[in-house]
Amino acid sequence: MLTRNILAPSSPWPVVSFDFRCQVSDKLLTRRYLNYGHDRGLKKHNSLRLRAGFWDSIKSGFLKNNTLQVIETPSEPQEDEEVLPQEFVLIEKTEPDGAVEQILFSSGGDVDVYDLEALCDKVGWPRRPLSKLAAALKNSYMVATLHSIRKSPGSEGNDQKKLIGMARATSDHAFNATIWDVLVDPSYQGQGLGKALVEKLIRALLQRDIGNITLFADSQVVEFYRNLGFEPDPEGIKGMFWYPKY
Amino acid sequence: MEVVVSRSLQQMQPGYPSKCMELRWVSTRKSGIDKAKRVLLKKPLTPPALFPIYISTNPSHINLEELRDLYSASNHSCHRFPNYVGSGGIVEPVNIHKLRIALSHSSVVVSVFCKPSDVLFSTKPSSSEPSEDPIKLLCLGQLFQKVMPVTPFNGQLVGFGRAVSDFGLTASIYDIMVTPSLQGMGIGRMICKRIVRMLASRDIYDIAALCSENERLFFKACGFGDDILGATTMMYSRKASTYHEGDQIIRAGRKLLIPPPLPEPPAF
Repeated sequence: MLTRNILAPSSPWPVVSFDFRCQVSDKLLTRRYLNYGHDRGLKKHNSLRLRAGFWDSIKSGFLKNNTLQVIETPSEPQEDEEVLPQEFVLIEKTEPDGAVEQILFSSGGDVDVYDLEALCDKVGWPRRPLSKLAAALKNSYMVATLHSIRKSPGSEGNDQKKLIGMARATSDHAFNATIWDVLVDPSYQGQGLGKALVEKLIRALLQRDIGNITLFADSQVVEFYRNLGFEPDPEGIKGMFWYPKY
Repeated sequence: MEVVVSRSLQQMQPGYPSKCMELRWVSTRKSGIDKAKRVLLKKPLTPPALFPIYISTNPSHINLEELRDLYSASNHSCHRFPNYVGSGGIVEPVNIHKLRIALSHSSVVVSVFCKPSDVLFSTKPSSSEPSEDPIKLLCLGQLFQKVMPVTPFNGQLVGFGRAVSDFGLTASIYDIMVTPSLQGMGIGRMICKRIVRMLASRDIYDIAALCSENERLFFKACGFGDDILGATTMMYSRKASTYHEGDQIIRAGRKLLIPPPLPEPPAF
């Protein structure tokens, strides 16, 4: 039936009949799927919609003069754009020798893994495989970083950019999020930089209505997070970890 | 709680070597305490029923409305502190749009299907069922139904579990649930083990699971324990008690969360 007229539909009549037939065939197809083994009715609607899209694309391939737009079912129709990366200067200070140091906040997530590894060494964390670090950063919901940019006077364009802080969060984009790996260079600690990093993450998560924000804090930083609005073991909720049994 | 693997169909999809759909068998053999209870209630001791379930790790097998119904049936909420409807401790139904988004961003999604007749059979307590006597001849229709394999397309969703991961270092397990009539048969444990297996195959061993008091035993039985490094679990809960004019409030279940205040613009 579909192979009959692949001619250029210059006259209206074949086009009309072709369309009509396609519509009929669509109806037949959808009815067949509805009768497939069970009577779920509306419950199958979602998958039906996807199948209709498939047949639409086949149909449009045959129609030369097609005004039929095959709109791909968007995978996340309800979601707004992804978190737009931001970058702004958090602190700027001028040193006595005229050099200007800026602390740049960025949520774009472009972190050099070697810089990150060096930073982890500075704070005393155990080393982790670089490929895993890179994969983790790429697949995190949000990675917030702090860089220090030092502009010496006189040497224009010779800025020193150094990674001094990072925090990242993983999420399912709807309900839950976990904050991992918050670290700030020891020589820059105590200035509220870590607080700014975490607060930025929280604000971005809450803006997307992600209400369950969790983290696992070492004993010496529990107070730090308590000041940021986190509650330890709320209502008896605890995190458990998997241990392979050999 | 015996789970016997009788047959597994491996369907390898290109690019996902660890994705497979399996047919498994579960038994309703319950513990001794239950048996005594049944005798007390003058119910005949039914022989342990063995019936097939289908476990799948393919997210496209899940129908969202069925999943939402499973959430409601298990009284499980996506919010850690859910809003309760009425006085029976029943949580409000989960938002289906958010559920779709959550599923699409979950790294591992496990679903368990079962024949609808088997689900009903496990909930019938009365002794007037003709199908109780296994020796009695079943009519052809029932026999045919018993022989038909259970697939995600003709089965009912009875179990679910998902995990969110960064595919490098860590993962978190959320929302493991089994329909109440089939609990206690090892299905939940099977879901958990499957999630862990899928994550381990991707070289992720730092797997966390947030659980409330009554879920703790379940996770302990699945091989989870407290953190060896002694980390404390903390959740964001800056509440509306410190509400100021102009503060934004985010509702997460029954908690009203306030985002941290915006910092002062940097002084130049």
